[in-house]
Amino acid sequence: MPPPDPSVPSPAGRRRGGWTEPLRGARAVLPILVGVIPFALVLGFIMRQTGRTSAESGFFSFSLIAGTAQVATVHLFAAGAPLLVIVATTVMINMRYALYSLSLVPILQREPWWRRLFCAYIISDQSYAFTMAEAERNPDNGDMTGFLVGASLGVFLPWAAAVLVGYHAGAIIPPSLPLDFTIPLVFTALLAPQLKDRGRIASALTAAAAAVILVPTMPLQLGFLAALLAGVVVGVLLDGKREGA
Amino acid sequence: MSFFAVALVVSLASLVVKGLFTCFVPQGRLPRALDRILRFIPPAALAALVAPAIVYAKTASGSTFAPARLLAGLGALVIAVYSRNVVVTIVSGMALLMLLQRVIG
Repeated sequence: MPPPDPSVPSPAGRRRGGWTEPLRGARAVLPILVGVIPFALVLGFIMRQTGRTSAESGFFSFSLIAGTAQVATVHLFAAGAPLLVIVATTVMINMRYALYSLSLVPILQREPWWRRLFCAYIISDQSYAFTMAEAERNPDNGDMTGFLVGASLGVFLPWAAAVLVGYHAGAIIPPSLPLDFTIPLVFTALLAPQLKDRGRIASALTAAAAAVILVPTMPLQLGFLAALLAGVVVGVLLDGKREGA
Repeated sequence: MSFFAVALVVSLASLVVKGLFTCFVPQGRLPRALDRILRFIPPAALAALVAPAIVYAKTASGSTFAPARLLAGLGALVIAVYSRNVVVTIVSGMALLMLLQRVIG
């Protein structure tokens, strides 16, 4: 991590902790790396299996920060799918990020456009989840953007390094060790503080039930998107009822 | 078509999706009632990410129901509600899973 750069001025009128919040974000995501790194190793291995060069793999790791969409792209490309199909598929897979961006509007709306774009580029499921947990626990945080950037880079940089290692060394994690389970465990830990009222509990239960049914049966992670939407709809409906009563 | 070109187009299209509401939809146009919807996106997204990952295990032949993962995941949820701590949840969830895998396979 490079030292703070004093030549970068803070925007006037906003409390900015310099490197404090980025570092807190990067530290917060450390536990999830245990689950993320094995996935990145496997992705690097898949890149080589599907015939990508080291340069192509490296370029793709940095141009698109979204693991599932990368797996889909290299598979479809290797199978000779036309560009339009590949783009449509990855857009579908990443559609959840459009909903994430909707809920990030209150956090990012005062930022300049280039910084919002940078956040969109580096965000991941993991850094989004940790950022929303921070916003819930610490609503007065004056530098949520810094936290988001730190959390996102804290996931992405080790991820990209592990893709590179996986490409050259193969899948070096023994498959008998269920490290993939750490990812849902971290999301569970971040979900717990969200379950504060009836609406959000119902929203989570609906999304969970729908995901169990839809994720294995619908292609391209559309099941995940449908489950997310179902959870939001149920939450909003319950909320409306409560306000009407 | 070269893979670099495909990767570039795919990445730019995904960037538009990832920043759709923060960068590409004019901010003044978002209605205030939206706040009521936004509240539900994090819990619904997290629940939808967690549920399939604890109910099923990925095997070479696809996804299969995994009772040990489900029980360990539910146990971890209870621990998460009370501990409010990511590391405690990971360690106890993994311990539960390895224990349950030994007991019920």
